[in-house]
Amino acid sequence: MDGVELQILWSNLIGIVSEQARALQRIAFSPIVREAGDLANGLFDEKARMVAQAVTGTPGHINSLAAAASNLLENCDTDKLEPGDVLITNDPWMSAGHFFDITVLSPIFRGERIIGYAGSTIHHSDIGGYGIGSGARDIHEEGLWIPPMKLYEKGKPNETLFQIIKRNVRTPDALMGDLGAQVSSGMIASDRLNALCDRYGLDDISTLSEEIITRSEKATRDVIRKLPGGTYHGTSTFDVPGGEEIVLKTAVTIDAENGDIEIDFAGSSRPSSMGINVVPAYTHAYATFAVRSSLNPDLPNNAGSLAPIRLKLPDECVVNAKYPSPVNARHVVGMYVPFPILKALAQVVPDKVVAEGSGAVWTIQIQGKDKDGTPFTSSMFNYSGGMGARAGKPGISAVCYPTGVSAVPVEVLEASYPIAFTCKELAHDTGGKGKQPGGDGQRIGYRMRTGRNWLLNTIPSRLKSGPEGLLGGEGGAAGVFHINGEPVSDTRKREMQPDDEVFMITPGGGGYGATK
Amino acid sequence: MTRYSLAIDIGGTFTDAVLLGDDGKSYVDKTLTTHNNLLEGFFRGVDLVTERAGIAPHEVDDVVVHATTVVTNALIERKGPPVALILTEGFRDLLYIREEHRYDMYDPQIEFAEPLIPSERTFTLSERTYADGEVGLEVNREEVLKIIEQCREKDIKSVAVCFLNSYRNGSNEQAVSEIFAQEAPEIYVSLSSVIAPQMREYLRASTVAINAYTVPITRPYLTALIDELKARNFRQQPLIMLSNGGVIGAERASNMPVRMIESGPAAGALVACYFSRIFDIPDLISFDMGGTTAKACMVQDHEPLVTGTFEVDRRYRFKPGSGMPITVPSIDMIEIGAGGGSIASVNDLGLLKIGPESAGSMPGPVCYGRGGTDPCVTDADLVLGILAADRFLGGDMQLDLEGAQIAYDKLGEKLGLSREQAAWGVFEVVCEQMAAATRTHATERGIDYRGQPLLAFGGAGPVHACMVGELTESPKVIYPPLASVLSAFGTLVTPAQIDLVRSHVSTLGDLDWSSVETVLESMIEEGSAALSEAGIRKEDYTFTHAVEMRYLGQQSEVRIELPENPCDNRDAEAIRSLFETEYERQYGLRLDGMQIEIVNWLVTAAGRQPDRSASNTDMQDGGRGEETRPVHIRGIATEVPVWRRDAITDSDTIEGPVIIEERETTIFVLEDWVVHRHESGSLVAEKRTSGKGAN
Repeated sequence: MDGVELQILWSNLIGIVSEQARALQRIAFSPIVREAGDLANGLFDEKARMVAQAVTGTPGHINSLAAAASNLLENCDTDKLEPGDVLITNDPWMSAGHFFDITVLSPIFRGERIIGYAGSTIHHSDIGGYGIGSGARDIHEEGLWIPPMKLYEKGKPNETLFQIIKRNVRTPDALMGDLGAQVSSGMIASDRLNALCDRYGLDDISTLSEEIITRSEKATRDVIRKLPGGTYHGTSTFDVPGGEEIVLKTAVTIDAENGDIEIDFAGSSRPSSMGINVVPAYTHAYATFAVRSSLNPDLPNNAGSLAPIRLKLPDECVVNAKYPSPVNARHVVGMYVPFPILKALAQVVPDKVVAEGSGAVWTIQIQGKDKDGTPFTSSMFNYSGGMGARAGKPGISAVCYPTGVSAVPVEVLEASYPIAFTCKELAHDTGGKGKQPGGDGQRIGYRMRTGRNWLLNTIPSRLKSGPEGLLGGEGGAAGVFHINGEPVSDTRKREMQPDDEVFMITPGGGGYGATK
Repeated sequence: MTRYSLAIDIGGTFTDAVLLGDDGKSYVDKTLTTHNNLLEGFFRGVDLVTERAGIAPHEVDDVVVHATTVVTNALIERKGPPVALILTEGFRDLLYIREEHRYDMYDPQIEFAEPLIPSERTFTLSERTYADGEVGLEVNREEVLKIIEQCREKDIKSVAVCFLNSYRNGSNEQAVSEIFAQEAPEIYVSLSSVIAPQMREYLRASTVAINAYTVPITRPYLTALIDELKARNFRQQPLIMLSNGGVIGAERASNMPVRMIESGPAAGALVACYFSRIFDIPDLISFDMGGTTAKACMVQDHEPLVTGTFEVDRRYRFKPGSGMPITVPSIDMIEIGAGGGSIASVNDLGLLKIGPESAGSMPGPVCYGRGGTDPCVTDADLVLGILAADRFLGGDMQLDLEGAQIAYDKLGEKLGLSREQAAWGVFEVVCEQMAAATRTHATERGIDYRGQPLLAFGGAGPVHACMVGELTESPKVIYPPLASVLSAFGTLVTPAQIDLVRSHVSTLGDLDWSSVETVLESMIEEGSAALSEAGIRKEDYTFTHAVEMRYLGQQSEVRIELPENPCDNRDAEAIRSLFETEYERQYGLRLDGMQIEIVNWLVTAAGRQPDRSASNTDMQDGGRGEETRPVHIRGIATEVPVWRRDAITDSDTIEGPVIIEERETTIFVLEDWVVHRHESGSLVAEKRTSGKGAN
């Protein structure tokens, strides 16, 4: 295939996953999918290798979805799949690291043959169990576990599974609607891929995917080969809900000859008793993100470009979660995974990395009864702090990094739940000073308008120490979490009084380079 | 006596003028846009066409319509006078925080457009309205007076107000506006609850900020226009083309500049609707390709698709998300960063890539001979032989063929292809990019694009449209007359129209019809006022109704057109059934037993469709395919006959491949397509049904 033909087919594939993602986002129920974009869509070849991904979503979801497809298919006899079959799982180790994320995978048939798969992972509004938060003591307290199975069989819904799900979650309507959206987006992808094959007279996409994956891998290796070989070290330390301090240590070894990179997490913190443990696929997702976004963000993200990056995880480690560790709030640690790697890469490509930022978004969930006594459970909503500075540009204020989600607008939340915000604005001067300053965090306050007691689940982090600066830049400010003006460090799910007011300041980003 | 109407479309490069007589004669011309004083070019255009027709200004007794890029320019150049923003206390950084979103996940270097109104001119008031419309805290007059004082100190003449939940109840915003009116009538106040009464605070704030920022530019501009037309004895007040594809009176338009942003492109889309009626083709896709971008719009049932939100001034690599969002009704445009000046390159994967970098018009493509060295799309067209070096702009501009060939030799080397193969690759890839964008756009809106004809215009549109048509599986490509001034012509076939939206959220089951009636009546009243100002007679008013609905808990709405004013028979069940049918059509499923919610009520107030048409019928000798030139199609040099557009008659049937030249553009029709002339003056290329297919 020449570079012209391949480009035309390739842009078609990207078009298909984008169509799939847009359809999903449009008809989703959960605000976290629609407003925050907490979703991933991918297109896989017949060998379950990710060929193309939609340009929306989060690194955690996208790269975990890449692994989820092969995990799902390993657990089923693909010869026995039939048109109309749809696979599902929320197994944390097989997909995106906690029960909220449900992966749905639809085989794409061309006549009798499977030519690929359309997959999506989205964060559902509830999955029963503990709810949002890190307070569960083992994984079984965290909610409903759906092993790999068929959600649809030959186009017919698996009624048993549907009934089980409906009875085990707090928001059955939203969850059913969102699952429907995932199934529908898979159908769209299947139609479109067949139309593509019709248009260009293809029997399948195996040659196309082989070309794209091979070229992506080669291009990634070529970029790595231009770097100075050696092992570079980086460490990030941060505190998590409850005050525990987590250390992530990485040794990044660049093999300039073979063009690959190994990231060893030896020396990182041991598993936590809190639900902040990270499954390997999610660690892999954010580790590869750090490398890929620093080296060549324009290269497509697929099985080929991910192949040259390998992880080595110690057996007993917070980023190598094992059953039955709780994992619910795995993003608290997972979203810090890029930072020690970026610090190591700062010694190699200083102009391409980002200084430490606020890291994990702060997530919130509220539950209670409204004025009329009707119970409600909010979807998760999240707020960001400041991004770390770049070599030539300041860090962006109030923007999610490394994740790619958005904040749900205040008006959408106030219209959906009986919450009232007292403020949401920039926390000036929380970004670290430097040649380029870090981005600022935010001041956010809220209370309820129900006159009743309510439940609060929040996951703040970095309440003790802010992000470090890079190459002489100053650190960002630590976060603040107050209830009625009093600092609170234990952030397990808590019962709140009717007039209680929450106030928080998300951390600022680190500065880059010394101020002259 | 012949009645004359006049249209002026001010674009980024050219100002187009069309004078249309009701005897069917049209007079068109183009003049360079005068950026320092747009009205200078406006009246130069007016003079050119009126002189050509030999008429005096007072003989233009029908409408004068104007489409203008003045608002977009103001936003991009950022040279407007300082304006202020007033927000709810505690929420002063709305424009800085945006949606907290990084629009490109992998690129750590992204940037955002600086807020139009900076922090130092943002004020807050202690006031609060809740999501249910309840006012928790009223506006304090003293605080407003202090802000007025500061505005005067800073010489601020325009202010935007955006309070939380004002889409639900705008009374606190109104209170501010009233205090300003009493105490500082010289300061113009834009309210978010008037300009864009819809949920989502950042979107609304961004929209009202843009309005406030551009009011100090459009008000004097349009006032000067009105005065100058009057001074020159034109009879009518000018009408202004809005983004939604309607025209309204200039005075009203001057207070809502945020609705004028897509003025010119909207006019282009309206032409597509006009031709869809002439050809009696309800659904088609308009395709306008110029120097830096291409724009497409889907016409469904003779109407353009409209959208509630779009974005201007994308600052970082043309990426969606890097600009400023606007939420007002607008023609739903597919904008692609690929035009004649887009640069072709080879990326790290060895793939051919086009744009988003563009050589623009300075230095322009290599063949313009103004110092450009990067191979552009227009260079490919020239290397392939689709364009001829000595025929560009009727021969007024000689193209540098050799330069373009050298550039394509280099590109071919990187791809391992010959010069012509590389050029054909660029031609194919750029067409595929547009087809792909069209497919995605259509899917997002639940439309099957396959089988829909294309309508091609713009300088580069007719060159590429047939290939794009192959790729979108279009059976027909229409090349309308007056292609080079088509948007200006579009304003003349546009009815007066204003689209109004109000958020009024309720589940279908709990609908309170009397409050719905109040909302609809206020919209109809506002619409009537706008039509009356546009000189529309009362008996020509039409009002159409629509709702935006979703399943309770969803965040994105489906638009449902209602057959009549829903308050006439208050039938919620009929609305439910319309929604379920449409939802199933778009997404292939129905969610039984789920509650349904109405979010927005929409009213479109419109005047009658004007009955104007144009054709050019002058005939000349020659140019009927006697001459041929070699064109490299799919790597094979083929002798292709060359026709002159005005030499084609209604009885001709021309087989592709063929090249048809007119002064400002060239039509390139592929093999397996047949061209004939339609009585409207359009040329139509039709795909032979027994053709071999694209590849």
